[in-house]
Amino acid sequence: MQPSLAALIEVTLWFSIFKSSARAEINGFGINDYLAYVLWATFVARITSNWMYEFRMVEEIESGSINGLLVRPMSFFEYYLSQFMGYKLITTLVSFVVPIVALWIFDLPTQWSRLPIALILVFYHLIFVQSISFIISTLGFQMTKIHSITVAKNLGLWLLSGELVPIDLLPEPWRSHVMDLPFANAVYIPVGYITGRIPFETLQHGFFTNTCGLIVTSFLGWVMWRAGIRKYVGTGA
Amino acid sequence: MTAFQSLKKYLRLWLSFFRASLISDLEFRANFVLRFVADIFWYLAQIIIFESLYRFTDHIGSWNLEQTRVFLGLVFVADGIYMILLHDNLDRMSDKVRKGELDLLLAKPVNSQFMLSLQKVGAVMIGNLCAGTGYLIWALSRSSDFSALRLLWLLVLIPSGILCLYSFRFIISATAMIFTKSENIQYLWYQIYRLGLRPDSIYSPWLRYVVLSLVPVGMIASVPSRALLGEPNLALFAWSVVLSLSFLKLSSIFWKFCLKHYTSASS
Repeated sequence: MQPSLAALIEVTLWFSIFKSSARAEINGFGINDYLAYVLWATFVARITSNWMYEFRMVEEIESGSINGLLVRPMSFFEYYLSQFMGYKLITTLVSFVVPIVALWIFDLPTQWSRLPIALILVFYHLIFVQSISFIISTLGFQMTKIHSITVAKNLGLWLLSGELVPIDLLPEPWRSHVMDLPFANAVYIPVGYITGRIPFETLQHGFFTNTCGLIVTSFLGWVMWRAGIRKYVGTGA
Repeated sequence: MTAFQSLKKYLRLWLSFFRASLISDLEFRANFVLRFVADIFWYLAQIIIFESLYRFTDHIGSWNLEQTRVFLGLVFVADGIYMILLHDNLDRMSDKVRKGELDLLLAKPVNSQFMLSLQKVGAVMIGNLCAGTGYLIWALSRSSDFSALRLLWLLVLIPSGILCLYSFRFIISATAMIFTKSENIQYLWYQIYRLGLRPDSIYSPWLRYVVLSLVPVGMIASVPSRALLGEPNLALFAWSVVLSLSFLKLSSIFWKFCLKHYTSASS
């Protein structure tokens, strides 16, 4: 119900913008394109955000309950990645019912043949999202209270993902800079591709930036985990 | 005890809460700074939405960019005050019920609604309130038809808006007494709150009626903005005050009703 309400609020905003401006198109797209974007964006953003598992990972380190995981034949990162991906798979199946039904009823522009590859990017991006969460959780070894880092990080990603407004509406050079970061893969690139706003080349660029992002976060995560584990004495941070 | 003495007592109590909260927040300095930064991101997000949209249109609803900036300034100021005084308390209410902390509060010789609503002061957010006020002043300085005298309306309308917001949120949070675990209702609240973060002029008449009466989130910034940006609508302003007092009374009645059904921790 939450994302449905969020989508309704955004739909109201776009109706009002088109009504007030008396234009048929904004930046080359009509009202139906924006409504389709908003509907998909709200639900895709819910899938690509990570609050719950990041809090749990931080809590494990802060409280010392990570000890039980350290002795298992699976790394802390892998353990939470598998849980996270499993949870998101279920969330995707459930939460996509609403936009799919709404788009079908209102006949809003969606290129269904593009959906599978866009979803592959979404799930590929989830590994990147979980890598960032892993890095943040390793800060738990060094600092006592890091809840605010999760909040700041998620708000920062919210700004850069394209959930608020399609990134193509941002002025240059902001638009190009944001597109060069992997965070646009959370919402703008998959949703833009599904709704026909962006071509295949941009989607390819999304896969590329995500891979670059993963390389950077994997290295950082490895360094920070080693530093954290060296400091950790087994009784909670 | 006279009303004045009672007021003095609660004011002194709140000052003690403030001191204790500030000391507790400053214990984790990095967290203190990051909470400030996180809220600045949130402010930026709201600004970016409208600044981007106004590149393609002169008006959204009945307001232009200058007017919307004033609206956003008021959103930040009202949100800042709400975050300082109330947010942490109402956000944790469900936890307090579940973990039995409420039992301790109920045993204290003060009004339980007061204790639950104002015990934790978000001292971190004072910086955000300053940033929000700075943005509002900047927005007003760029507004072509602004008169400084109209600022006096804010002395009534901002407290009314916050009181409406508080009472409504308190009622939602108090449902934890009935359902024990009511996190999902709290999440729903954030979506309802978002309705108040958009100018009411963008809504259709029926939705505007809803946000200005039944779910009074439109009172936070839309009504004060109207006071700053145009001729005063006395009927609307009076409605804002009446509604805030009515909702406050309603929250108190609902709280008493919840207390009657409360059967201690994990009930």
